Amino acid sequence: MSSDLVRASAVTYRFGALTAVDDVDVAIGPGEVVGLLGANGAGKTTLVRLLLGLLAPTAGSVVLFGEAPSKQGQRRIGYVPQSLGLYDDLTPAENLAFIRAVFGTAPPLGGAPALRSLGELAEVPVGRLPLGLQRRLGFAAALEHRPELLLLDEPTSGVSPLASARLWEMIRSATEDGAGALVTTHDMEEAEQCDRLVVMASGRTVASGSVRDIIGERRAVVVTAPDWARARDALEAAGLSSSLVGRELRVPAATVEAVRHALAEVPARLSEAPVTLEERFVELVSGPAGR
Amino acid sequence: MRAMVVKEMRQLSRDRRTLAMMIVLPLLLIVVFGYAASFNVSTIPTAVFGPDAALAAAHLPPEFSVVALDRHGDRAAAVTALRNGTAAAAVVSGPTGTAVLLDGSSLFVAEAALRDLGGAGATRSHALRVHLEILFNPKLKTSDIMVPGLAGLILLFIGTVITSLGVVRERQAGTLEQLAVMPLRPSDVFLGKIAPYFAVGILDMTVVVLAGVLLFGVPFAGSVGVFALGALLFLFVALGIGVLISSVSQSQGQAIQLAMMLLLPQVMLSGLIFPLTSMAAGVRWIGYVLPLTYFVEIARAVMVRGAPIGALWQPFVYLGALGAVVSAAATLRFRRMLAPHQGGGRRPAPRPATAP
Amino acid sequence: MIAALEQVTVRFGALVALDGVSLRAEAGTVTCVVGGDGAGKSTLLRVLCGAVGPDEGAVQRPDRGAIGFLSSGSGVYSDLSVEENLAFSAAVYGLSPAETRRRAARLLEMTGLDAAAHRLGSELSGGMRQKLGVVRAMLHGPRLLVLDEPTAGVDPVSRADLWRLIAEAAAAGTAVVLSTTYVDEAERASAVLLLEGGRALVSGTPEGIVAAVPGTVTSSDARVAEDETRSWRRGHAWLTWHPGEVPDGAPDLAAYDLVAPDLAIAVVVASLRDELVAGGSGGGPQR
Repeated sequence: MSSDLVRASAVTYRFGALTAVDDVDVAIGPGEVVGLLGANGAGKTTLVRLLLGLLAPTAGSVVLFGEAPSKQGQRRIGYVPQSLGLYDDLTPAENLAFIRAVFGTAPPLGGAPALRSLGELAEVPVGRLPLGLQRRLGFAAALEHRPELLLLDEPTSGVSPLASARLWEMIRSATEDGAGALVTTHDMEEAEQCDRLVVMASGRTVASGSVRDIIGERRAVVVTAPDWARARDALEAAGLSSSLVGRELRVPAATVEAVRHALAEVPARLSEAPVTLEERFVELVSGPAGR
Repeated sequence: MRAMVVKEMRQLSRDRRTLAMMIVLPLLLIVVFGYAASFNVSTIPTAVFGPDAALAAAHLPPEFSVVALDRHGDRAAAVTALRNGTAAAAVVSGPTGTAVLLDGSSLFVAEAALRDLGGAGATRSHALRVHLEILFNPKLKTSDIMVPGLAGLILLFIGTVITSLGVVRERQAGTLEQLAVMPLRPSDVFLGKIAPYFAVGILDMTVVVLAGVLLFGVPFAGSVGVFALGALLFLFVALGIGVLISSVSQSQGQAIQLAMMLLLPQVMLSGLIFPLTSMAAGVRWIGYVLPLTYFVEIARAVMVRGAPIGALWQPFVYLGALGAVVSAAATLRFRRMLAPHQGGGRRPAPRPATAP
Repeated sequence: MIAALEQVTVRFGALVALDGVSLRAEAGTVTCVVGGDGAGKSTLLRVLCGAVGPDEGAVQRPDRGAIGFLSSGSGVYSDLSVEENLAFSAAVYGLSPAETRRRAARLLEMTGLDAAAHRLGSELSGGMRQKLGVVRAMLHGPRLLVLDEPTAGVDPVSRADLWRLIAEAAAAGTAVVLSTTYVDEAERASAVLLLEGGRALVSGTPEGIVAAVPGTVTSSDARVAEDETRSWRRGHAWLTWHPGEVPDGAPDLAAYDLVAPDLAIAVVVASLRDELVAGGSGGGPQR
């Protein structure tokens, strides 16, 4: 508990009539990667701001490195926003120079590894580099001052699977050195890379734990029908929403009996499979909280 | 803090348009106020008529430069010469005496003429008693010549600044590409896009002219048709320039910067504020290239002097030719913007914008 | 077959955006074009719907009135309301007002946009904008629906709605071609094409691609030393691809944890193979 890098306890944030964050508990310890999932407007950004100390909670408390959030505390955080926090019209070297000057850190001996691997691209303004490289630079910039807590916003969005894996190498290498990381994401693949997840909807946490914990025992009905379009229409008519996967239909929020009943007229083979993280997420978020 | 300064300087050094503005603007101001901004008139083009024309001409102060001499002309010929803009002053000399007619629409020239004649008259012999008359803007009101110029400024502003913003906005949003794939012809998109700006430009200009005439008593001596034709031609030029600006601008900010850089010289050097004749020759040629110059001339000639279209063939031809060239270029570039590679354009896919 | 690209190459000056790429889009199916930023996905889709012409190769497509296109960035007018956006599209494609109302009502209701019918484009959240963009593109019942990264950065709930729309279109017989960086979406398609640097690395059904992964993939706690670049992280573990049938340096398979490939692994392996062939370093730019 006390080794947590940051801990939010029963944190609530209200402005005006709107409750953006409602009684949320979140903690990040050294060496772990916590994923934060939620629809837009679920309160993720506000929660991150509360953890950073940019906002003061209306109720509850935030403890950052063992004390109330402060400028000293913020210095120990590495934050990579989705826009990467790099200046598009400056070269990578100039960007890093700016950050070092601000944080008062000295360049590592032999130059930064991120810059060395760029070769001649080090002289190109960041805006003209391919996205994968930009993201790597964004991380390198955030890691410059050896932060103990990383806050990453959609770190691999838009990037190919291999490049995404390489980015995760950087994240894991930092956490293996003792840092803790909070990753906000919409990407299910990325969520599965995290050690555990926190799912938010309408300002509250609706689930937390590992992917397996969150999926639990819930199952979806898989419909294999030669005329999938007809099967789909029949399901829609019965009020069951289905998703198309290849040529099969998955109905996450129903029992086998209900599906069989709906498909009375349509020849189909039914089976069950565990729900995907996304299906579980949609269920959690649309259920009690509503859209 | 030092780090911020260094960073900002580096970014500035890469922002070409802002740099251009920082250099071009002071340069422009120096040129204008050093060489162009002057209300002093050194020569007054004069036409001399009447049987005693030669004699009268000889006695004129040196500022009056005789551009036409017609022994058989009379007062009517003199009025026509002034109306058509052949000269800014006309001297009609005959048995009943000498009359000097001044063109009130050339405000500063007329004032200069008044000063010169007033000074000279005192030392002239009584044989050359002069009867002074100011035509077309007898009270020498500034508003009478500014309102026509303003009409041109509005057309220019709407055509270049507003239109380019509208087109760039579509480009920024990425919807231009979708239009290219819809069953729409490029001409549908192009004309459909600029039509509202065209209408607004005409409307605004009409309001200003009406306000001038009805509220400020600005004359409208000439043909509405001629004025309208001039306005139309000029608006084509302005709209074309607006579309061209948008074709080289990636953002609305850039479009405004470029539009302003093209607008400002025209405001200063088109004869709108400072008369062309007062500008140093080395700088005056710039005025003769700018389209606004020609519309201001047309507007003033028609509204204040009632000049016929025949006298204005030069500005009309220039605007017509410029309009054709600019419109053609604008259409071509617009088509390229819409569908860059349908047959050989050179622009790669825009970076997909990440949805917030 | 509704549309096809045959060995298409597209160049923008010195940049080769597409290099000999082929694709077929069949009626009633969903084809996913997968790749990272700069892979050529947008260019491929634009060639498919006619916004860009090929420098080499051939393209077959229905005519413009039968194509629906959503460019990256939602293609929604921020200063028009949801209804006005749809009205513009309907007018351009020649739909009668009655027909427009009918189709729009159903699609808006499916996506939960009906409550926001009068809201301006700028007042919609990212997910809702994308949903509107897709509704707009399919409103006139096109035979070919081309969507450029419709789910980029969109929250999972809206993403599920978008896929419902896609399924709706496919059910009506439309050939849907969309691009994405999410491999889990590619798993839902009936055909997948992986692009990198303008080249097609693998294509086929998701099952076919997975079955065709050469060599073996193992899992371990640490990076396998012999060739660093063939290892990548997944969660806490390291996965390593061994091109040969047996993991190099060890005749005994039992010493390793074999991993059955899934589509994500197949995609990474394809990229690694491409790197091996090219002899270049990972993540290097193609321009």
